[in-house]
Amino acid sequence: MVASLTRRFGDLDIAEEAAAEAFATAVERWPADGVPPNPGAWLTTTANRKAIDRIRRENKRDGKQMEARLLYDDDPPEPLGAIGDERLRLIFTCCHPALAMQTRVALTLRMVGGLTVPEIARAFLVPESTMEKRITRAKGKIKAARIPYRVPSAEDLPARISGVLTVLFLVFNEGYLATGPGTDPVRHDLTAEAIRLTRLIRALMPRDGEVAGLLALMLLTEARRTARVSAGGELVALGEQDRGAWDGALIAEGHRLVRERLAARVAPGRYQILAAIAAVHTSARDARDTDWLQVVALYDLLVQLDPSPIVALNRAIAVGELDGPEVALAAVDRLEDTLAGYHAYHAARADLLRRLGRSQKSRAAYDKAIELAGNTAETAYLTRRRDQLG
Amino acid sequence: MQYFFSVIDDTAGLATPDEMAAIDAFNDRLVAEGHWVFAGGLESPSTATVVDNRGGEALFTDGPFLESKEHLAGFWVLQAADLDEALKLAAEGSKACNRKVEVRPFHGG
Repeated sequence: MVASLTRRFGDLDIAEEAAAEAFATAVERWPADGVPPNPGAWLTTTANRKAIDRIRRENKRDGKQMEARLLYDDDPPEPLGAIGDERLRLIFTCCHPALAMQTRVALTLRMVGGLTVPEIARAFLVPESTMEKRITRAKGKIKAARIPYRVPSAEDLPARISGVLTVLFLVFNEGYLATGPGTDPVRHDLTAEAIRLTRLIRALMPRDGEVAGLLALMLLTEARRTARVSAGGELVALGEQDRGAWDGALIAEGHRLVRERLAARVAPGRYQILAAIAAVHTSARDARDTDWLQVVALYDLLVQLDPSPIVALNRAIAVGELDGPEVALAAVDRLEDTLAGYHAYHAARADLLRRLGRSQKSRAAYDKAIELAGNTAETAYLTRRRDQLG
Repeated sequence: MQYFFSVIDDTAGLATPDEMAAIDAFNDRLVAEGHWVFAGGLESPSTATVVDNRGGEALFTDGPFLESKEHLAGFWVLQAADLDEALKLAAEGSKACNRKVEVRPFHGG
């Protein structure tokens, strides 16, 4: 409803406030008056009236033009199908490239996800006032710079969808990396929110391959959440996870999406390949049954699309499973220059050195990884591995 | 809706002949398509004078108001329907003059 109000009034603040007031009125009146036959339409009409009232009250300079448009534009409440269209417009607006990435994330969670400002602030570990200012400034820019409220044109769509998916993946990762007993539960909700929003995009764009790929990736990753952290709050590596604890329903759905994309016979994008890799892992009943040949083949594909050192690192680790730790270590070491500041690089080296029996070097690498690691579950795991070196 | 497009320069040089040709072609298109309001290239910041008449007497300072590596080299004032359109024009302008371009909306839309 916020979406359709924003379209009508071109102002996120007015839309939000009017929607809230309409709901408040409903809560007040419906118990006494009874629920109207078309509650959605009632809410929309009420919200529209409240928005008009506010515009009149504030006597905005261009209020007259807006009012004129409203009288002209007196169409009946949106049929249900068009509501999806409105939400798409809202998502693309919140994810506009003229807004900084962290702003897009915050705005999307607020306007599309409906999270409160305190919730978003806690999720990203910034003070509430900082988050409030970030969102207020963004709304101000949308209005003053006239960021258009629309689904991008066909030629702009691929780049813009990519931007939206990046935002959703960031939200997901923020939630997924939140592990350990001391974590604020709001961060767990982020993965659920990311999945919900991606499902929404998928419903609105059912033929887009990368949207399907991202959803599959999220589902296949989320399926392993509970197995990923031990009771003691320590990270459990993929090879050691209790696969019985994986969520079978999420995995089944993820696999269906991956198969659907394979059948489409269209060159896969990044998310589809990552989802396929996750599908290979989640197809193995036991870690030893993992089809590493497939995994390496998929990483070979991914490297062509995304030559980033992190992809190269993950590929090297997979190669290690096929060709042994010596080969993998040589490949990993080549990434020293670009990944020296990344904890997973040192963790990978530490593990390979351990398997080669080079304890002293392994210990040093674990130390480095622990120093750089971000969350407590990861640190606990690395510390245990290092201490096991004896 | 009008936007101010600032051409940001971090070199001492002026536009090369190739750049001038590209800018001219771009400007012709802007006029033809109805975006053109006003534009111009500026002389170097060293030719600037800052005037401060907030106090009792007008003070004149030789040089630009901001000493920095990057400075304003020129500008366009263009009409665009929304920011998407303005950003597309800015992208072409940036390519034509081979410099960064800042896009800012005017007050009052």
